[in-house]
Amino acid sequence: MSHPTAAELLASVSLFLKEAEGQLPPRLAFHAKVAANSLAIVTRELAQAPDAAEAQALAPWGGAEATCMALRESALNPSDPALLAAIRTAALARLAVDNPRYATFKRLSERPIA
Amino acid sequence: MQTASMQKASWIDPASPEGMGLLAALVSESLGTPTAIHRVTALSGGASSATYRLDASEGPAFIFQRTASSAHAGLPRSTQAAVQQRAASLGVPVATVIATTSPETPLGDGVITGLVEGEALPQKWLRLPEYAAARSALTTQCARSLARLHAAPVSHWSGLGLTGGSGSELLASLFALYLGLGQSIPAFDLAFAWARPRMPTSPPTCLAHGDFRSGNLLINEHGLTAVLDWELTHLSVPAEDLGWLCVQAWRFGEWQQPVGGFGTREALLAAHGGGITLQDLHIWEVYGTLKWGMSCLQLADDHVSGRVPSVERAAIGRRVSEVAADLVHLIAFGEI
Repeated sequence: MSHPTAAELLASVSLFLKEAEGQLPPRLAFHAKVAANSLAIVTRELAQAPDAAEAQALAPWGGAEATCMALRESALNPSDPALLAAIRTAALARLAVDNPRYATFKRLSERPIA
Repeated sequence: MQTASMQKASWIDPASPEGMGLLAALVSESLGTPTAIHRVTALSGGASSATYRLDASEGPAFIFQRTASSAHAGLPRSTQAAVQQRAASLGVPVATVIATTSPETPLGDGVITGLVEGEALPQKWLRLPEYAAARSALTTQCARSLARLHAAPVSHWSGLGLTGGSGSELLASLFALYLGLGQSIPAFDLAFAWARPRMPTSPPTCLAHGDFRSGNLLINEHGLTAVLDWELTHLSVPAEDLGWLCVQAWRFGEWQQPVGGFGTREALLAAHGGGITLQDLHIWEVYGTLKWGMSCLQLADDHVSGRVPSVERAAIGRRVSEVAADLVHLIAFGEI
């Protein structure tokens, strides 16, 4: 394909923001950095499918929405290891998109839930 | 909200000639000596307040801080200033209050204080070698400052209209806020369900600072010089402030040091006086982490709803995933 993909367009805008950052006053430069970070999130979200991962992990409880409702109605035990493990999987799928460098990402991934 | 934003639009720029004149008059009156303000520098524009440095023609500089957001939910500056003065009388390090300005006046809802020297950016004082001694003293200094604040009976704060509640009531308010924002985040509901039967139901015993975290401390090479930002102060129990100080979001990557990125829980609890257990603290860490999560959701909602379009607030919305992971870790493993 000759035209750039969505990911390539995002990469081009990120490149532009990096160039512009050096020319901007401090507050705008900070916002340019934040904007570049948001583009990185979008890029990862296009490549991964956090909604599907969350839905799959929580399917035994009827999906994310139903799990939340059941917890609100005290119909689920928040200390149930199977539920905890599933919510962990869902949370990690989202964090892998939003900030995979966050220290808790690695810590939460590696430790087994008893 | 409409009224508040109209009010804000009529507040004058503190750096304008009129603003500088009004500020100088207030400082002169308070100090009892004519003082000219010859420069006003904007230091930061946070989500809820704007801070200015006031340089006088001679003598020390001052700080003017005023409410920035029309959606401001914190206490009026005059109440904060009164709390700060009463905290100072207990031996808590705070900036000296010079004068307050009310929302009905041209300067708006603000307070003028003395300028306390110190580094406010945790990213600096948590890492730079010149603050090594400060970091090792800081856990004890924070614990003792909070202990002094917490030792005062609720009557010490009477007449200020402060609100608060039991842990259980505070959690219920937070949950109502969550439902109001219309989000369904499994880790958040897990944490609410876990915390609900565990929060203490006993009434408040003290004033909690309410926002005692790394970003609200001024630090010099010896440690704590001032506790800032008293706008979320309320009546609660001591463990709330200690738990909030341990929330992961204020560790700035120094996650091995649960107390603000610089200390251990055991040292914090011991220096505070020993009345709070690790289990109590853990419950309030879950509460504090949920509270930070609500702030992320609210800031994101400011953008998504169109109230305050902002690249920064939109991005903060995705920090919800960090909070969710922290909550799962806290509940699955009993700590983070």
